[in-house]
Amino acid sequence: MTIVALVLLFSGFFFIVVAALGVIRFPDFYTRLHAAGKGDTLGIALFVLGLAVYNGFNFVSLKLLLIVLFVFLANPIGGHVLSRAAFRSGLKPWTKKGE
Amino acid sequence: MLVQGGISMIAKKNLAREAQLKQLIVLPLALFIFWIILTGSFTTKSLIIGLMAALIVSRLCSPILYLPAAHTPGKSYAAFDLPYLKLFFYLFWLLGELIKANIQVALIVLNPKMPISPQVVTFKKPLDHPVAQTLLAKSIILTPGTITMDVGDDIYTIHALTKDAALSLAPLEGEGEMPVRVGRLFNE
Repeated sequence: MTIVALVLLFSGFFFIVVAALGVIRFPDFYTRLHAAGKGDTLGIALFVLGLAVYNGFNFVSLKLLLIVLFVFLANPIGGHVLSRAAFRSGLKPWTKKGE
Repeated sequence: MLVQGGISMIAKKNLAREAQLKQLIVLPLALFIFWIILTGSFTTKSLIIGLMAALIVSRLCSPILYLPAAHTPGKSYAAFDLPYLKLFFYLFWLLGELIKANIQVALIVLNPKMPISPQVVTFKKPLDHPVAQTLLAKSIILTPGTITMDVGDDIYTIHALTKDAALSLAPLEGEGEMPVRVGRLFNE
């Protein structure tokens, strides 16, 4: 059980680190949202899931699962609101040269 | 003609009542389970307080939980009258897509050459149920390299990280897999 929890925790860490790297490396606002919106959602979900598995099945792990649920509900909305605000205020997306 | 009209009206009324009943059961039940998980106690006092709170909150919320339909004027949907079983399977498929999306984005981020070609695409998908529209826009954000930039008049404006991601959602001919699945979920 501890091994499963560790695998979940480290894959969560991996996705959060990749999301942070993506935010630094990508060229503009919208592409950075791609990294932030997706990497964080799965990263936090895996991380909290790992904690729930490590804890075993009781009320605390149920509460942790609720956190996963609310992150899944709220995170896409945050990403969409940010990108829509940028789109409506007229921010032009970055494109590759020559396309 | 008259009889036909009468029958269809009765059917409509029954449908609405069924949806209302579902709404009346689902929301207090969900709130009550939420209460039990948060308090973590099964004493009679706590259960009674939780049940009353769930009923009062769902009664107070009921006026805002009837959503006007996007295309049929005068029609409204109950927000919690959803095809739950189908939704459950759809969410499993979405979870698989989410993991695939993350691995793709991770590979792109870790690739030193950074093979991205961002582009903006639009596609049209008329959905009558407001919850269906929300579900589609949300699913798009969670899946391979796409973000919903704007939704309005059935037109979804999508920012895609790569060309493949753009084509998977809005192919040159026909519809992408995700809009079709969401449409099937709500029988539209």
